[in-house]
Amino acid sequence: MAMPMRRTLVALHRATCRRLTNAEVSLDVRHPGPLFLPVRTKKRYFIPPAVGMKTKMEGFTEAKARAAGIVGKQENIERPINISCTAGVFDPYVPPEGDARLSTLSKEGLKQRAEQIRQSATSQLAIRKIKEHDSLFKTRDFAERAQEIFVEAHNALTQFNKEKLHSLVTERCYPEMTRGNRYKTIRWSFIESLEPPRVVHARCTDMVAKGNVYGQVTVRMHSRQTLAIYDRFGRLMLGSEEQPKDVLEYLVIERHLVNPYGRWRLHGKIVPSWAPAKDPIIKTVMILGPKLRPGEEFDALNHEVPKPAAVQ
Amino acid sequence: SLESKAWEKKNLKVYPPQLPDEPRRPAEIHHSRRQIKYSKDKMWYLAKMIQGLSIDEAIAQLEFNDKKGAKIMKEVLLEAQEKAVKNHNVEYKSNLYVAESYSGKGRYLKRIRYHGRGMFGIMDKVYCHYFVKLVEGSPPKTVEKTSFDQAKQYVQNLKSRTIIHSL
Repeated sequence: MAMPMRRTLVALHRATCRRLTNAEVSLDVRHPGPLFLPVRTKKRYFIPPAVGMKTKMEGFTEAKARAAGIVGKQENIERPINISCTAGVFDPYVPPEGDARLSTLSKEGLKQRAEQIRQSATSQLAIRKIKEHDSLFKTRDFAERAQEIFVEAHNALTQFNKEKLHSLVTERCYPEMTRGNRYKTIRWSFIESLEPPRVVHARCTDMVAKGNVYGQVTVRMHSRQTLAIYDRFGRLMLGSEEQPKDVLEYLVIERHLVNPYGRWRLHGKIVPSWAPAKDPIIKTVMILGPKLRPGEEFDALNHEVPKPAAVQ
Repeated sequence: SLESKAWEKKNLKVYPPQLPDEPRRPAEIHHSRRQIKYSKDKMWYLAKMIQGLSIDEAIAQLEFNDKKGAKIMKEVLLEAQEKAVKNHNVEYKSNLYVAESYSGKGRYLKRIRYHGRGMFGIMDKVYCHYFVKLVEGSPPKTVEKTSFDQAKQYVQNLKSRTIIHSL
């Protein structure tokens, strides 16, 4: 009984399908067909990539979209701010003139400088505030730790160990140290410290909100170092590996005190105005002369060579 | 890979520092320009014209050449010279010569070119890349071999033949 029934049903289905036209097939409720049937055309062997796209003016589409009220992709309005370090040195320490030169001559000079840290009141207040947050802070130990941080940071710079360098140096100091050094080889060595490092200056500042305290401590150190920078091809650019130099530096070490995971990191250096000029690079640099209009002549006698601007 | 920038990556190679007794390594600067609207075959003629010349001569030759590619090539050379002085520690900007210079095929756009009788062709909108390598120093002097020299060499080869199993 099932077989003849099925056959009649199939016959009925065929009959209904034949009755319906192409358009009605899609609208038929009992046996719905596809809504979009491809119309048979001549086969295209090559379809060029949207030829019409070029003619649409770019400004046109934007104006149209704005008029229609469609909000397009928002361009980045945000600017990233780094909270883990301050943007500069607050109330920088002004090193006294002739700091390294007079120390061997007069004993009074030494005594004076040793007492200065106790005299300046703001530094004392700052140190007291630092001790509030970090109870183990001691001026004497800190100076040695600062020197260790300095040496480790420069060693990481020679190996270009990014993670270690980021943990030893703040985000403000990192680009200063590494700008232009990516494809250069730096050979640096710390030979010895000529004088024990001393804490010279301290400041505590609040950033953005009150209570968000950052501590900055200036450490003075006199040491002997060698520095040699080689360019991409292994040729010496600056300094020499055998010749050591005596260097007097004022390092600024910073820490985000409120942050329990904050660490004392190198924040920058203070270069006094009376510091001796650095060694020139082993290269001749061309300084462009004045732009002459046609007919003008170059006046060699009255022309002054423009001095390069100070970096720090 | 169609978008490989191998030529630009050659600029990132760092050599270890040289010992003081080694001869000074000449600086090499790789520069290129991609997707220039010009034919690679037409660009080839200009590229091979300046290969081996010093940079000043090359720029002079391109400045007074009437081709469209010459203007673009001159810009590329000037850019490369500036980069050499700024980034690659080259001392004198004239102390460079063109060691390698060649053109390559860029990525083409395809369009239809309509012919009669409903026939069509695929038109290629040609683009090319141009690569140049500048090396520090004066250009190497190629010893020109005269025809007399070549003849002498030929006679020498004939004379130096050994005849085996002879008396």
